[in-house]
Amino acid sequence: MERPSPSAAKGGPSVAETQVGPNPPRGLPSRRVRWLRALDRTFHGITGAAAASLLLLLLGLLVVLYDGARPALLRFGPGFLVGSGWDGVHDLYGAYPALAGTLLSSGLALLLAVPVALGVALFLSEMAPPLLREPLTYVVDLSAAVPSVVYGFWAFYVLVPFVRSTVEPGLATLTGGTGPFSGSPTGLDLFTASIVLAIMILPTIAAFSREALRAVPRSQREAAMSLGATRWEASRLAVLGPARRGIVAGIILGLGRAIGETIAVAMVIGNIYLTPTSLFSPAQTLASLVVNNFGGVGPGLERSALFEVGLLLLAVTVGVNVLARLLLGHAPDPSRPRRAAGLRARLLALTGRRHHPVPRPVSRTSPGAGTDPSVAAGRWSSHLDDRVPKNLRRRQAMHWVVVAVCAGAVLLAILPLASVLATAFDRGGGAVIQPSFYVSENPLGCNPGPGRSCSLGGIGPEIQGTLLLLGLGSLVAMPLGILAGIYLSEYGRRGRSRFARGASFVADVLTGVPTILLGVFVFAVFLRFEHDSATSALSGGLALGAVMVPLVARATEEGLRTVSTGVREAALALGFTRHRMSLRVVLGSARNAVVTGALLGLSRAAGDTAALFVTAGSSSFWFQGFNQPTAALTPFIFTNFGSEYANLASDAWGAALVLLLMMLLISVGARWVVRSRSVGVEL
Amino acid sequence: MPPKLQVIELDARYGPRHVLYDVSLDIPDSAVTAIIGPSGCGKSTFLRCLNRLHEETPGASSTGRILLDGEDLRSKDAVSVRFRVGMVFQKPTPFPNLSIYENVAAGLRLLGVRRREELDDGVVDALLHAGLWEEVENDIDAPGTSLSGGQQQRLCIARALAVRPEVLLMDEPCSALDPIATHKIESLILKLKREYTVVIVTHNLAQARRVSDHTAFFYLGKLVEFGPTSKVFEQPTEKLTENYVTGRFG
Repeated sequence: MERPSPSAAKGGPSVAETQVGPNPPRGLPSRRVRWLRALDRTFHGITGAAAASLLLLLLGLLVVLYDGARPALLRFGPGFLVGSGWDGVHDLYGAYPALAGTLLSSGLALLLAVPVALGVALFLSEMAPPLLREPLTYVVDLSAAVPSVVYGFWAFYVLVPFVRSTVEPGLATLTGGTGPFSGSPTGLDLFTASIVLAIMILPTIAAFSREALRAVPRSQREAAMSLGATRWEASRLAVLGPARRGIVAGIILGLGRAIGETIAVAMVIGNIYLTPTSLFSPAQTLASLVVNNFGGVGPGLERSALFEVGLLLLAVTVGVNVLARLLLGHAPDPSRPRRAAGLRARLLALTGRRHHPVPRPVSRTSPGAGTDPSVAAGRWSSHLDDRVPKNLRRRQAMHWVVVAVCAGAVLLAILPLASVLATAFDRGGGAVIQPSFYVSENPLGCNPGPGRSCSLGGIGPEIQGTLLLLGLGSLVAMPLGILAGIYLSEYGRRGRSRFARGASFVADVLTGVPTILLGVFVFAVFLRFEHDSATSALSGGLALGAVMVPLVARATEEGLRTVSTGVREAALALGFTRHRMSLRVVLGSARNAVVTGALLGLSRAAGDTAALFVTAGSSSFWFQGFNQPTAALTPFIFTNFGSEYANLASDAWGAALVLLLMMLLISVGARWVVRSRSVGVEL
Repeated sequence: MPPKLQVIELDARYGPRHVLYDVSLDIPDSAVTAIIGPSGCGKSTFLRCLNRLHEETPGASSTGRILLDGEDLRSKDAVSVRFRVGMVFQKPTPFPNLSIYENVAAGLRLLGVRRREELDDGVVDALLHAGLWEEVENDIDAPGTSLSGGQQQRLCIARALAVRPEVLLMDEPCSALDPIATHKIESLILKLKREYTVVIVTHNLAQARRVSDHTAFFYLGKLVEFGPTSKVFEQPTEKLTENYVTGRFG
């Protein structure tokens, strides 16, 4: 479309117009046509640049982290991966304990989360009564929206004591306290971190698996049921197989999230830099190491080593996400023969266990040639003689066992969200009902004693800061993301442009990059070019923008893709230029999807802590200027979650509740947008 | 010979939408019964009631009785009903992750057949019955989806036959196939009726004429006429039937 055609060069009609018919539209002066063409080209250029910014973001991440890590890379070489110290005095750093902590905690989290998530997906897609299906799906999805700092906060107060007093001693007694269960249970350790991670990645895995299951056509289930399969057997036979790829992709995405999760882990893992020897060892992960140390170090080898840890984290998460996205990109096509079955056959052939049935003996009657069914039945196995299958009771019992187990998984999956909400209301409810809470500054830390009451204070500056940061981030991310989304959908359709497909893929991968790295990236860029405002409102806002852009771009792209080709062609046939078609017709039709995407991005950014923690700096004052550190809700919770002062702890709970209510509001809003008028074309 | 299936005052709904009104019909044993009628007249719903698949659709309900060899389907377990009343769908539905062999063996395995020889016998017999054996003999471990559309449909028929049902329901089994594949399926149906009771829903009037012994004409959810195929097509009692079979509407 962007290539000048010969007729256009001569001032003829634009390509868009030539699609209308062989004759150039009459009555359009060539000046106007040239002008429209120029507009079209400009629009293409602008949206293309927005899409390119996604690629630049990933490239920039890589370059900046590598640049920062260079001193450490030169100093330690590959030994960095096996070095086990973090010694600021002798400047000796090694990533092994963090690497081990990351792999162990994510692996264990996966082990815990996958069975439950599969049960949830099966129940929601295959077994739930129609009335329960939607609300349960919604609630499970909602638990993905809880900010990680809130999960961490909840875990610190609810999960950790429970694990310390009950679960770990129980496990230790059960196993004799040996091997992975040795050591004294502290609750702040690898084990608890894994549970928190499992809780956090469960909704992701469940959602992807559920979608994969639902994508299997209904007729597959019905075909299995027509053979006399129970519902569970139908799922096993006809649904789980085709959905396998999507489920695996979901599990890998969950793993990526677990590896990159920063804040919640940092709050419960104990933060001691030792290679874990048991599940009850306190530990560190790559991400928690960065967030715990990055703010406190000046320029020097330690910071460089932290950059290298970041680089490592980037490599692992990008690798994992690329794998998952490649799997998802090649969703199974039922009409296409799959290699897997052939592969299995080849394996069987190798092992000599051929599936080939023996050729039919000659003595047998020719099929169907007047054989009397009653006589024919004699040839058949006794399994088939009965008019009611012999194993029916057992199979139906099996069905109900599976249903019960899956329903139990759903309950288990909903439990954390329920507990988080209950705890937040219990501990923060008192604060949020006071109007002064929203406008007062943080109080001085104080504990109520005999004859002494403490002022509750408030989180005014934090709310102000969060809104400001979100506004700033949106200012960058919304236009950029939506324009990029338009490019990805409108210029990259049907694989026409490799660049667009690549950018879309990168956007997907970027959504899986730990936000702490985006924070470090923005921080480092500021450090280089605008040294004094490396920790400032501006830098924090940009970091949130970087969190949002890929989400908004992909959501916009997906939304626009749902608009049918017919609508586009109809608009072009009416003589719309391409950019007007994209902006008015397509964007108009998909408006709701775009708004939903924007809200999703906003919700993710509002709940983010890691990126803000390294960029917005720490402040408890009202807004001081864009180049000054600023307060915000999530860092406030993160710095005060373990406060020894009762009033600060209540404030932190109040802040957590405010965040949760915000998420709920956004989520309900997004749902409302989706439900309301979904097609609205304004020409 | 007593009828294989007796449908008595069947009413079916999807939520508030009423799709079948008071249908009563006797389906004869060891014969092919065709169900014809314009789109949306309730043919498929009728068929799906016969193996209680209708009730699996969310919101669907039905009243009335259906007797299989004189026994009410509802008094029995849905799973054992479907094991006796097999079904083939409009689009071929081979299980995409299973080989040809495993597709056919699926129903046998559900019934608890474990021994390799029994499975082999069942699979070969079913494939022979469906007229597919010669074509897949050397490729039995290939994925079911690697076959052509017509072969896939015959694979699905073989899969349904493997559990030795008494009735075979076919929901427009040829509408996604080319004329040659259609011809193969039709000859297969003619062969199958010696051992099975076949009920086939079809849009193709010529097909109904070619393969069926009895024809039922449905219109707007009601059974308009039912009788021997030759009579329904040549001397229909109802004006509506005549208009439909002569192509004046629908």
